[in-house]
Amino acid sequence: MFGLDYSWLADPAYQQWLLTGVVNTLKLAALSSSAAILIGMLGALGLTLRIFWIDALIELFVEVFRNTPPLLQMLFAYFTLSSLGLRVTDPSTGLSVPLLSAFACAAISLSLFGGALAIEAFRSGIETMPRAIVDAARSLGYGRWARFWRIEAPIAARICLPGLTNILTNLFKTTSQASVITVPELMYYAGQIYNDTFRTLEVMILVLLIYVVLVSILTFAMARLEALMAFPGYGRGH
Amino acid sequence: MNRVDALIELDNVRKSFGDVPVLKGISMFVQKGEAVCIIGPSGSGKSTVLRCINGLIPVDDGFVRVGAHRVHEMRSEKQMRALRHQVAMVFQQYNLFPHRTALENIMMAPIQVLGHDRAEVEERARKLLKKVRLSEKADSYPGQLSGGQQQRVAIARALAMQPDVILFDEVTAALDPETVKDVLFAIRELVEEGLTCILVTHEMKFAREVSQRVCFTDRGLIVESAPPAELFDNPQDPRTREFLGQVL
Repeated sequence: MFGLDYSWLADPAYQQWLLTGVVNTLKLAALSSSAAILIGMLGALGLTLRIFWIDALIELFVEVFRNTPPLLQMLFAYFTLSSLGLRVTDPSTGLSVPLLSAFACAAISLSLFGGALAIEAFRSGIETMPRAIVDAARSLGYGRWARFWRIEAPIAARICLPGLTNILTNLFKTTSQASVITVPELMYYAGQIYNDTFRTLEVMILVLLIYVVLVSILTFAMARLEALMAFPGYGRGH
Repeated sequence: MNRVDALIELDNVRKSFGDVPVLKGISMFVQKGEAVCIIGPSGSGKSTVLRCINGLIPVDDGFVRVGAHRVHEMRSEKQMRALRHQVAMVFQQYNLFPHRTALENIMMAPIQVLGHDRAEVEERARKLLKKVRLSEKADSYPGQLSGGQQQRVAIARALAMQPDVILFDEVTAALDPETVKDVLFAIRELVEEGLTCILVTHEMKFAREVSQRVCFTDRGLIVESAPPAELFDNPQDPRTREFLGQVL
């Protein structure tokens, strides 16, 4: 059809590459998303303490990781962490190898990048907390911690969920840049396949469709979660 | 009035927000079981008085006592816990927690703050919902209730703390006229049962009917304080007369 040639797809080797690529992409996305959410929560929680040097540290972290290209962060992690002497001797081969694999470097840098964005998302959720809610909680005798866990956090989580969906979809797509530091994820194998077959357009169309499907599953799941968590009577909760 | 016997005592309370003085020396006493209304123009400091009584706003200067609690000396939320147990508050915008049902809103603080037994609290909460005539709305979320219904849930939530005093901060100001009367009915019942109430209100007719005393505030001071019949029918201060002339 349209002169596109997909006969290479019948090759079990290419099928295996694609499958491995998808699995590694999913692993990288799942790992960095979870870590990003955790970093986001801890960071936003740290900001509620209103302690000067903690604020300054978190702000610095956010500025550095939000304002630089994730690809650069990944390259930086890949080339510096291994050359900084973080190497171990592989007991089976006796060779000196980097302590952190390309995959680990990609996962770490994506987690920090996503974490910086998540801190901002969670912070906005907490900071837009209506004054009235805080007053009501205080007048009922809630102390600072109980107020945060019982009232502010559950409300903030719902406020910042749409923003979090954006961050997670972006983070998912950014995993493709890990191919540059040889992480064998979907984009990496796509390159391998078209270098082998010269079927660049066909491979790109297929990979594009795979990303559309995978990211759509994510956004669909997030939309479901949003609907489930919505306050009945407000917005999606109607 | 004997100030030592009073349940609530404010003496020369001052408070500024930035450079703007809001309270310029408020003194008032409220006896146990008394219903006192505070009326006055917007920005005269009515709501701020209430918030100083339960410690939501720290005072700059002066003396605030509720029962045995010397509120003006309290600095941390922890110190205020016993005070918050004794003094409940109902707000203009209801301020219910949107992620919890009506019943849960009422039960949360007694369980989570006061550590009361869940089963006992639920029984209390259902009784209170019945009292404000919203039994059938126990499982509704605030967003599914009308303003008047939310406000009655908020009153039940305040009562669930088993307070000695309830502060009502313009609780009908955000409601449409036909639901106002349900809320006022609920408050009237509480006053008749002898609960100590301080009400900031713009409902002059209600203030007159329900309260034993009305305080008129203007520009951070209590200008005049008298039983409602006296204050409404024979106001002494020209500012009170001017205000009443505008609103009545």
